[in-house]
Amino acid sequence: MGNSGQEIILSIKNVSKSFPGVKALDQVSLEVRRGTVHGIVGENGAGKSTLMKILSGVYQKDSGTIIFDGEDIKSTTPIQSMKRGLSIIYQELNLVNTMSVGENIFLGRFSEMGGMRGVHAKAKELLKSIGSNIDTYKLVSELSVSEKQMVEIAKALSFDSKLIIMDEPSSSLTADEMKELAKIIHHLKDKGISIIYISHKLDEIFEFCSVVTIMRDGHVIDTKPISEITRAEMIAKMVGRPIENEYPERPNCVGETLMEVRSINTKKLHNISFKLRKGEILGFVGLVGAGRTEIVRAIFGADKVKGHEILIDGKPVKIKNPRDAKKAGIAFVPEDRKLQGLVLPFTVESNISMANLDKITRFGFLNRSAERGMAEKHVKALGIKTPSIKTKVRNLSGGNQQKCVVGRWMETNPRILILDEPTRGIDVGAKYEIYLLMKKIAESGGSIILISSELPEVLNMSNRVLTICDGRITGEFDPRTASADQIMEKALEFCRKDLEHERAN
Amino acid sequence: MRERINFKNVIQTVFRDYLVLAAIVLLVIITSIVEPKFLTTGNLTNIMRQFGPLIMVALGMTFVIICGFIDLSVSGILSLVAVVTISLIEPLGQVGALIVGMLLGTFCGYLNSVLILASGAMKQAEALFITYGMSTIYGALALIYSGGRTKQMSIVKADTSIFSAIGTGTVGILSVSFIMFLVCLLLLYIFQSKTYMGRTIYLTGGNKTAAELAGIPIKRSIALVYTISGLMTALGAIVLFSRVTAASPVIGKGYETNAILAVVVGGTTLIGGNGSVLRTVLGTTLVILMSNCLNLLGVSVYMQYMLKGAILVLAIWLDSRKQL
Repeated sequence: MGNSGQEIILSIKNVSKSFPGVKALDQVSLEVRRGTVHGIVGENGAGKSTLMKILSGVYQKDSGTIIFDGEDIKSTTPIQSMKRGLSIIYQELNLVNTMSVGENIFLGRFSEMGGMRGVHAKAKELLKSIGSNIDTYKLVSELSVSEKQMVEIAKALSFDSKLIIMDEPSSSLTADEMKELAKIIHHLKDKGISIIYISHKLDEIFEFCSVVTIMRDGHVIDTKPISEITRAEMIAKMVGRPIENEYPERPNCVGETLMEVRSINTKKLHNISFKLRKGEILGFVGLVGAGRTEIVRAIFGADKVKGHEILIDGKPVKIKNPRDAKKAGIAFVPEDRKLQGLVLPFTVESNISMANLDKITRFGFLNRSAERGMAEKHVKALGIKTPSIKTKVRNLSGGNQQKCVVGRWMETNPRILILDEPTRGIDVGAKYEIYLLMKKIAESGGSIILISSELPEVLNMSNRVLTICDGRITGEFDPRTASADQIMEKALEFCRKDLEHERAN
Repeated sequence: MRERINFKNVIQTVFRDYLVLAAIVLLVIITSIVEPKFLTTGNLTNIMRQFGPLIMVALGMTFVIICGFIDLSVSGILSLVAVVTISLIEPLGQVGALIVGMLLGTFCGYLNSVLILASGAMKQAEALFITYGMSTIYGALALIYSGGRTKQMSIVKADTSIFSAIGTGTVGILSVSFIMFLVCLLLLYIFQSKTYMGRTIYLTGGNKTAAELAGIPIKRSIALVYTISGLMTALGAIVLFSRVTAASPVIGKGYETNAILAVVVGGTTLIGGNGSVLRTVLGTTLVILMSNCLNLLGVSVYMQYMLKGAILVLAIWLDSRKQL
């Protein structure tokens, strides 16, 4: 293999791809050099994922040429492209939870490795080469998200990958895990492996990538060395218009107490009590798995929890299931919109109406025109980009899907809106619109609980922040005065003690 | 030029939506050419009568499948309702027997849902085993209750005019059982497309988690679909034993597979969340026509089993291709 850093490993020329009614890619051209990290940014629906799926062989291109490592690739399957040295690591990792790390890395190739002993030895070696010492006999289900990612990368390396595509690798990583990922990326670069890095988080693009390609509406808008572009330019090119701020001004209209939660205790949660005020945005900060989601699920009646008390306007309310919560004026936008939020094969219309069917029912019969009106109202109010309200929600981009879930709950006129990772995997423009919506709700007297793994988002939007670690509330901050470090310290309180404990032993 | 129509997709859609209809038309044309007896009034009336029991069971099954579940207990319920109803004609009179029979089926269906909900079964496979177990129980109850004997309607010492009408009566050119089917279809179609509960069934089948988090009463939907399935199966049982004028304790055998076959062949997907009772009508028509045609053409019963099995596999294969 040549040692020239300028050699082109992947060349895409005029590639187009259409789906019924949509031109997903239009004459896309792109070159990736060997041993570089090439960033791709763009709003949801810009065509990034389609392009990657064509590269990995999930979809076939309609026209254009793809040359990978000097070979003209006409059509391919995922296995073929993996064997050629092109691996893709998807956002939702593809590992078998019930099998060990080593088995996952060499899945289906046990005999080639000379049995299980060979598998584990080789797996250990691969993991070591990217600076990781995960026990290869451990089950994948016991790993953290970042460890799983490492296993995926080791798997990619086991195919002698020359190019690894990482699709939103950081969307569920914490700050510490991010540092691990950064290290791995450096390792890979040093080995001469090219990386295509897709992310919505522009900080990462600036940190890792040497070249960035910006896509919008199925076109490549620009490809530039990272040193020659600013953050603002990048955003402007992504959304097609300049955006002045990433966050709107923080709403400031906190009133008296609206809801009081008293002592939620479960296996995972310990003595969770807090108050939520009128017009307040209350941020929950903590690691993934700290219990943030469990708290709001308990409040919303999604998990069976007993013994706690919830008071709204000083009066106790019984919430046994999401129906009760809805009646009490609570709305919940769950973290995984595809699995928990939407009914993907259904229309935009029925996804919006589904929390409000009682409203349009008379004597058991649905009023279809009222349903249509309801859907149209929210498509318009939230600017949901969809060909029609009869379009299946599956065909919308992430941001627009999220707006459908939000619209559904807006129709219920909630007094308390719980947003669990509301901007995960959605683009800058749509994020800003969600922030504006939050502001509007708070200013009209509603209260919001915001859970997010993106600290800047919580810090910029909340009136008050609670830190949660290991199922406990460990601190309360005013984000206007507290620093990010102070807050993270509290959010990691117990984990840090654990670490110190481990080190001491 | 760029906006080429994707032929693959168009073909897929046509294939998916009209395949059954095309198959039915083709079957009718071919059989009427090969076997002129096919288009005689006698045979057509025969088809209409055979249609009755299966369509009732299949219509109920449609909702269970739309809701993302499955119901194997229908064969047991069918047998049980048939033997109980026929035995009650003497003591209760025919109206009383009819009502008790329908209540029994409804209760058995509801009981299935209670067990499914109590065990927390939220997967089709779990429901499959639970209802299979219940089918065995209902079937055994039918055998115990009847002492394993088939009861003929002719030996019932009471008025059986309603049952005779259901079995052999006609209004104009339509058989009474066919009219019963039309009424049920109309009601269920309205239920499916116009009512709140109908919608919650689709949403539950589409995504249980999302539906529950949106405040949809998914448990009520699940209870409802099994109850409907039980009631429709009871109707099927009544139509069936009225037609054959006897109730054996194993009369329902095979109805679960045929009903699932009819629903799936019609194009309601096993994954849940979509489908329609209208599709089930097409599916049932195909299943009934096929066995009628094969009978006329003199194909052996064993061969017919094999064909049915093959068609079920094909239908499920096409069904899973749809989800792409």
